[in-house]
Amino acid sequence: MASRLPLLGRISKLLKAPPSTPLCSSRHSLALCFLLRKISTPNVSPWTFASPRSFCSGPLNLPQDSQGPAAIDYRSVLSEDEFHRLANSTIHDLQEKLEEYGDVVELDGFDVDYGNEVLTLKLGTLGTYVMNKQTPNRQIWLSSPISGPSRFDWDHNVRAWVYRRTKANLSKLLESELEQLCGKPVNLS
Amino acid sequence: MLRLVASRLLGTASREVPSRPLQILPRLYHENVIDHYNNPRNVGSFDKNDPNVGTGLVGAPACGDVMKLQIKIDEESGKIVDACFKTFGCGSAIASSSVATEWVKGKSMDEVLTIKNTEIAKHLSLPPVKLHCSMLAEDAIKAAVKDAEAKRAKMNGSSKAADVN
Repeated sequence: MASRLPLLGRISKLLKAPPSTPLCSSRHSLALCFLLRKISTPNVSPWTFASPRSFCSGPLNLPQDSQGPAAIDYRSVLSEDEFHRLANSTIHDLQEKLEEYGDVVELDGFDVDYGNEVLTLKLGTLGTYVMNKQTPNRQIWLSSPISGPSRFDWDHNVRAWVYRRTKANLSKLLESELEQLCGKPVNLS
Repeated sequence: MLRLVASRLLGTASREVPSRPLQILPRLYHENVIDHYNNPRNVGSFDKNDPNVGTGLVGAPACGDVMKLQIKIDEESGKIVDACFKTFGCGSAIASSSVATEWVKGKSMDEVLTIKNTEIAKHLSLPPVKLHCSMLAEDAIKAAVKDAEAKRAKMNGSSKAADVN
């Protein structure tokens, strides 16, 4: 773990450095990609992407996201272990609460399933939610029948999963959508 | 003689094989996805140094999806006259980016920014787990437009400087 600290320090320096153009400079993005890959699992595709204008859909494209993302503190990029711990606990917690909600709601075709680290919530004819971890980006990905796809990053400041583009909070989003769909409120915090 | 009989038998046998009822698999690709996968439209590359070409590159190999979408802008009208793509990813990702290149042709840059991932997903009947591919395609369009606009701004800036001189 000690060896990771200087690495994180380098990443934070690079992230703090203001981009010289609206697009991340090639030196920045390549270096960031390289460093981030060091943290992530070695299970990376052999096809390396050396183009200077790499738009990684993770924390790397934060500076140029034109829709004004929520200010997320990237000073400490999540280590993989910590990410798994946080994401797993969030997903398992949601799974339990959703199972209880299923008993309350009595919806035809309601089903909560967790397999291969993917949480699937079926709401009969109302639609299906799919939630999974996206480890390389340290994100939780959600697919919703109402709001479509979203990608949540861990925000240390509010200790919650937040979707940068809409500033939505994962639990709050699910709570409001489920209430909208099923008619009964639910607490997922 | 024996061969003739055998072939006749086989011939009859093949004709008489009753069509077994198709086993409907629970998860099939929609025919639009299969169409775009088998006959992808606009696969290719433009010269990214061309001032009238905007390039959008989104995704990451580690995530399993990378899309490069390029648009060619007509100088005078500012409309997109041509588009091409190259995608590394699943069938839904390929189909999403292929659809994106079809939809941007002939439109202005402002217009294509209104293309939503939900429309692409609906057109391809993407299952919930593949909605992220359509979002990536929307991002690719936005990135390409952003690049094209940045290039145009640069060009206008430098031509103004030339006029001044």
